[in-house]
Amino acid sequence: MRRRTWVFLMVLILVPSLVLTLAGCGKSSTPNIAKIKKRGVLKVGVKADVIGFGYKNPATNQFEGLEIDLAKRIAKEMLGSENKVEFTAVTAKTRQGLLDNGEVDMVIATFTITEERKKVIDFSPVYYVDGIRLLVKKDSGIKSLADMDGKTIGVAKGADTQARLEAKAAELKVKPKFQAYETYPEILAALQAGRVQAFATDAAILKYYELQDKSTVILPDRYSDEEYGVATKKGNDDLRDFVAKVVNKLKDSGELKAMWEKWGLTSK
Amino acid sequence: MLFGPQAWLALFHDWRIFAGGLGQTVVASLLGLVLALILGTLLGVLGVTPVRPLRWVNRVYVEFFQNTPLVTQMFFYYYGLPRLGIVLPVLAVGVIGLGVYTGAYIAEIVRAGIQSIHRGQLEAAYSQGFTYGQAMRHIVLPQAFRIIMPPLTNQFVNLIKNSSVLSLIAGYDIMYQADAWSSYNLLYGVAYLTAALLYLALTLPTAYLARRLERRMQSTWGAAT
Repeated sequence: MRRRTWVFLMVLILVPSLVLTLAGCGKSSTPNIAKIKKRGVLKVGVKADVIGFGYKNPATNQFEGLEIDLAKRIAKEMLGSENKVEFTAVTAKTRQGLLDNGEVDMVIATFTITEERKKVIDFSPVYYVDGIRLLVKKDSGIKSLADMDGKTIGVAKGADTQARLEAKAAELKVKPKFQAYETYPEILAALQAGRVQAFATDAAILKYYELQDKSTVILPDRYSDEEYGVATKKGNDDLRDFVAKVVNKLKDSGELKAMWEKWGLTSK
Repeated sequence: MLFGPQAWLALFHDWRIFAGGLGQTVVASLLGLVLALILGTLLGVLGVTPVRPLRWVNRVYVEFFQNTPLVTQMFFYYYGLPRLGIVLPVLAVGVIGLGVYTGAYIAEIVRAGIQSIHRGQLEAAYSQGFTYGQAMRHIVLPQAFRIIMPPLTNQFVNLIKNSSVLSLIAGYDIMYQADAWSSYNLLYGVAYLTAALLYLALTLPTAYLARRLERRMQSTWGAAT
């Protein structure tokens, strides 16, 4: 290739990469409570397919669940009314991006607090503790993680399920394989197609899929503690502190426990 | 931050994950190309035979596989076939999906290439005692091949890019690894930029090699008479 063409190509590739890298350093963005108040509505990312937490009821076309109630409560404390809140459906994969680019002010979507995530995102105090369980076909004969040596477990992209289960599996001296899919329904499809022998995620999420396919069953063992927190963008300290205050208030007053019971949930 | 030094450090620390993805993409692309060339040549030739039912086979194949999305085809092989009892490993799904899809485009290119060869060549072959099949194999196709090199290599580059569809069926290719890695630690900026650069690392040399091959074939065969 001619020298000029090469130089042109290199510039074309390197300059954008350099610009993006430099833009990444030292940049901090600051949406904050005043901005939300000015806008007049709180934007929250929630799940749409997790019964009891964040679920878009097909009968009413409304979002409902523990996390919806929590979002409404935060909106009430911040803006004076439970109705000044706008929900956006998210998945484990998309929630970070939407938070980072400001599409949502916070994410309340069965988001487990982990040390790695704390490096790039802020969490509120824990508002619910769930655990990872396995969904398998009834006729597979699988009774627990110990039976999964050499078998494949389907997980969702963006979830911390694989890391948690790998640790647990190592303790049990078994070595399962993992495949990650974009959405939960795809994992169920993979289970039905025999591509994975177990569907693993938080127990609360699995319940919906067990109902969808009567030939499956959730195994009894719980493999980890999944602590859920409200996520806010790193750097939005005022937002983080405000949410922490609300969550702690609900915990101390017993209202949080009442909210769990309303949805038939039992936190660990 | 999205593109900060820590993000790059984390990426280089896990370089094996991306290398694995690169390997899988290369394997899927090469095998897919072989299948696409075989199917494309066979069906392209079918498109110019005097036998009308065979031309129909070409038409149906090309129209169906060119006009439905590759993703849809892949999902069918991956999720649909198991319902019929056929469970293929994901690499096989990828190779078949890419091969059959790209084969439809190559079939059209081959057909156009053959039709651009002067009918006189075929007649001269017949006069020498070649059968239709022999004439195709020894006289017409080699000349057609030289003409269709540029659009063919374009298809190969497309195939390499299309292999990214494997990421949607847990295919362990470049996109899947970048996706899974970054959705776990949320460093999606560096992950996707690296994925793009890896694809470039495959497509640019391919285009370059193809041009060299093209030039070499020209000098071997000389000007068409």
